[in-house]
Amino acid sequence: MMLRNVRKVNVPEIVAPAPLDAKPNAAADKNPVDVVLGALLVALIGFGVVAVYSASQVYATTQFHDPQFFLKRQAAYAVAALVLMFGISHVDYHRLYKLTYPVLVGVGILLLMCVVGFGHSGGGAARWLSVGPVHIQPAEMAKLSLVTWLAYSLSKKAEKVKSFAVGFLPHMIVAGLYMLLCMKQPDFGSAVVLLLLTFTLLFVAGARVGYIMGAFMIGVPLAVAAVRFKAYRYERYLAWMDMEAHKQDLAYQPFQAVMSFGSGGPWGLGLGRGLQTLYLPEAHTDFIAAIIGEEFGFVGILCLCLAFLALVARGVRTALRAPDDYGSYLAFGISTMFGVQALVNLCVALSIFPTKGLTLPFISFGGSSLLVNAAAAGILLNISRHAQQKGDYEEEKADPSQKAENAAPEAEEDPAMGDVFGDAQIADVGTSEPATS
Amino acid sequence: MRNLDESRAKWIRLRMGILSGIMALGLGAFVSSAYRVQVEDATSWREAAENQRQRRLHVEPKRGTVYDRNGTSLAVSVEVPSVSADVVEMLRGNDPKDREATLRDAAARIGKILAIDANDIYDKLAQKKRFVWLKRRISSEEAVAIREISDPKKTPHSLKGLTIDGEGHRYYPGRELGGPVLGFVAPDGFGKDGLELAFDEELRGHVEEVKGVRDRTGRLIFSEGTTDESALAGHDVTLTLDEGIQHVAERELDAALHTYETKGASLVVLEPNTGEILAVATSPGYNPNDYGASEVDSRRDRAITDRFEPGSVMKVFTVSAALAAGSLHPNDTIFCEHGTYKLGNVTIHDTHQNDWLTPTQILAKSSNIGSLKIALNLGENGLYSSFRRFGFGEPTGLPLPGEAAGVLRPKGRPWFEVETANASFGQGISVTTVQLAVAMGAIANGGRLMEPLLVRKVTDARGNLIRENTPHVRREVIPASVAHMVAEMLTAVAEDGGTGVEAAVDGYRVAGKTATAQKVDPETGKYSEDKYTASFVGFLPADHPRLVIAVVLDEPMIGRYGGDLAGPVFRRVAEASLRALGVMPEGGGKLAKVSRADDPADITLAVMKPKPEAVAAPQPPPIGPPLPSNVKVPDITGMAARDAVRTVTAAGLVPEIEGSGKLTRQEPPPGTQVPKGTSVHLVFEIGS
Repeated sequence: MMLRNVRKVNVPEIVAPAPLDAKPNAAADKNPVDVVLGALLVALIGFGVVAVYSASQVYATTQFHDPQFFLKRQAAYAVAALVLMFGISHVDYHRLYKLTYPVLVGVGILLLMCVVGFGHSGGGAARWLSVGPVHIQPAEMAKLSLVTWLAYSLSKKAEKVKSFAVGFLPHMIVAGLYMLLCMKQPDFGSAVVLLLLTFTLLFVAGARVGYIMGAFMIGVPLAVAAVRFKAYRYERYLAWMDMEAHKQDLAYQPFQAVMSFGSGGPWGLGLGRGLQTLYLPEAHTDFIAAIIGEEFGFVGILCLCLAFLALVARGVRTALRAPDDYGSYLAFGISTMFGVQALVNLCVALSIFPTKGLTLPFISFGGSSLLVNAAAAGILLNISRHAQQKGDYEEEKADPSQKAENAAPEAEEDPAMGDVFGDAQIADVGTSEPATS
Repeated sequence: MRNLDESRAKWIRLRMGILSGIMALGLGAFVSSAYRVQVEDATSWREAAENQRQRRLHVEPKRGTVYDRNGTSLAVSVEVPSVSADVVEMLRGNDPKDREATLRDAAARIGKILAIDANDIYDKLAQKKRFVWLKRRISSEEAVAIREISDPKKTPHSLKGLTIDGEGHRYYPGRELGGPVLGFVAPDGFGKDGLELAFDEELRGHVEEVKGVRDRTGRLIFSEGTTDESALAGHDVTLTLDEGIQHVAERELDAALHTYETKGASLVVLEPNTGEILAVATSPGYNPNDYGASEVDSRRDRAITDRFEPGSVMKVFTVSAALAAGSLHPNDTIFCEHGTYKLGNVTIHDTHQNDWLTPTQILAKSSNIGSLKIALNLGENGLYSSFRRFGFGEPTGLPLPGEAAGVLRPKGRPWFEVETANASFGQGISVTTVQLAVAMGAIANGGRLMEPLLVRKVTDARGNLIRENTPHVRREVIPASVAHMVAEMLTAVAEDGGTGVEAAVDGYRVAGKTATAQKVDPETGKYSEDKYTASFVGFLPADHPRLVIAVVLDEPMIGRYGGDLAGPVFRRVAEASLRALGVMPEGGGKLAKVSRADDPADITLAVMKPKPEAVAAPQPPPIGPPLPSNVKVPDITGMAARDAVRTVTAAGLVPEIEGSGKLTRQEPPPGTQVPKGTSVHLVFEIGS
């Protein structure tokens, strides 16, 4: 019944693909990006380099006999990230349509390679793939890849999102596959973030809350089981519950992290004066917030939180002002991706959540994370170029012909586009099974 | 969202708003948590963090070196690599299923390198501690191999979490040499005995003076103000001991221990003019490198911790006290009751039946009766306070743990008459070997009781002088004239007819005193018939003493007499020490040896009656009533010291000696008419 229903709705959709009508708009490239957003991103990336240096100096000295070992690398990544970010901000986000499926499948394959044994074993967890001298972390890419696909798919389906078979199930299945591959690495944290992003975008696009709640109800016991029946996760959970008793073994890292925060006090010890780097493992990666807390104090943490708040707020603002659903979902998904990761990372650092392998976007050491986040930020910046001023919005509503004029030549310029995505669209909508292989 | 109808766009905005609100709430929760940790609980967290670092600061710095007087190392700390594991690091990112397999694999690989059973290593790893020693004191080959399997570049499946740290290990290059004096260091880095204990704080260094920061493996990462580890290192201690003399002393003492089957033995070699101790030997000794294998009994420094009844050697101090107090004159003669004397209800015996003896003869023949008569004449308090002035009954102040004071008045009350009598020949009181050496040093150096020195100086790791011990006179015990007189008397002991002929050294005159003291049997509380303490305390060259040597043999099973048993030890140690110090022979001693060799049976005969030629000759002229007649100062130019002194004393004059070797100058000049008893100043020089 549902299928029939879908088919019925489907026919006019193909004829008039309303949400996908926004075409590459060359004029938008001349528009300025959201300056506040851009400034925040540059500031965060720059601050990340400083924070990484401060947090890694001791470890780099003892391990590599080079205090600037991580500084040099992070600085290089930061430069690459800035170039990538501003490069992508000049690529009209509508052109990303073409890349959605290749990226989705490509990242899926990379994740699969990690799991089946090509993964660079960093002592057990196969989270990295070695490509020559660089190690890439497909889980980081998976987040952005999933967001772009969800934004694409949801905006395309528009009202049909409300249906279970078309709007809900395919997205859950794709996200589920990604999550499964992440869990296999094992990377529980990324899987959780993927799930949250999926729920977020489904909710925003208008999927039935009942479905989401239902999936949530199923997901919670699964997650509990995943924790309870994986010995190390359960141990970690128990240690987190009773940190005082485990501060020398399993809860050593979170305990030291909280100690770092606490010993910073309200004003902090000053940049480079933090001493907890001697005790806190991975101070420059997942737990960098703890060192920032020690060196800059509560005031510093507050500023960092405000910076992320502003980042997400500007991102959501971009989403609200995006010219179409796709841009809007994409912007909101990317903003949520930043926000959720930052929030989870900060909460882990302060031991509000048990330890997960999540980075603090833009700040933590790591090329994969920084470059992927920078790419996401580039997309966000590009969407902000297309932001409609309040005036524009009214104007366009008043004069729809102008829109049609703008759109028409673009469509001619790129005739293949309609075909490619048209096929996918039919496949997507026309079967109850997901065709996303 | 121009493509949407108004109501749908509104809903989308609303839902975005809801989600943004949830995220903002989450951020708010985080910030409030951070406020609690960073503002409200900041003080306690900061304290906890400081404690964590502070505790790490107490990791031991490099322990200082102990040197002998010539700079030879006696105790050094060497950095020995030790390998530890951080198991949490080792398992980081590992699949929990594979953990056991990973640890088994790691244990097998490590065990192969370190030659330890893999199961033992696995048991250590399986505790999953952040720090566990796998093997301490590994060889450099093992260290290289461990580094190799930890290096991802060299080994494909490298192990994580292995750390090699230098750990201070105390090493005593001389093995048994000076063992009980040096003591040892326990694995926790604290000195546990001897000098290691006494100077523990200085050797260990003063960590708290430098603020440093160590990481979680305990390595020093950086320190505020200085990165120089030598600032943390312990001070070096330079001893007055001479490694060579110490070695000979221990060798000879060990030989005596085995030859005479003594229970224990101790020996002290002292420089009388400065109080520097050149050797403190104890037998049986032990090797502090492997102190675990030694008996606790053998770690004791007997020379300072063991007190014993000294016996006849105390007669030297009795006679000195009486001479200094004026209650005895050097040419007095004392009736020695033919070897048996009743004092109250106690009968005191001499080994030989003597009649009239001079103080010199009393010392040479070791007459108990003569000595007690001198003491009773001096009085109880006179004898007691004199012994106290010679340093008995109190620790000498050596910086070593467990020094015994010895006991003079057993219950703190004055001695009864018979106790005074016993004390005069060293019974009923207890002393230590080092006390005897120091007291004899006062006789040798002209009456000054020196503070014994074992430590010459303490320097920090950069060579700056922290503390230097210079010779210190504790008190003038007896006038120099009396000291010289007694020294001269004591030369008779090692000469023909004395009890200490075995101690005579070729080419040097020896002054000394033998003692053979019965030990109190702890079971019966009475003097035992077969347990003795045999000792010889003496110095040489008698005229310009450079060495005081005290030899004490505890309970020899073969033989008993101090002269026979301790004498040869004294002689051999003296010979080697004089060579080591480069003291030129001055003549004397050989004669006595030759005569002993010629007619050993004569010794008994000799002690029966005074032998005026040999014994009386070196005796100084009377100090008593001045003789009226004038004498001519003899011409003694070019004579050896011994002959010169004999000639001068034979003429009734008192020699005052300076230097050593041949006589080069005398004052007044030869031929001058002077009253008898006048001092003649003789200057000797070592010449061609």
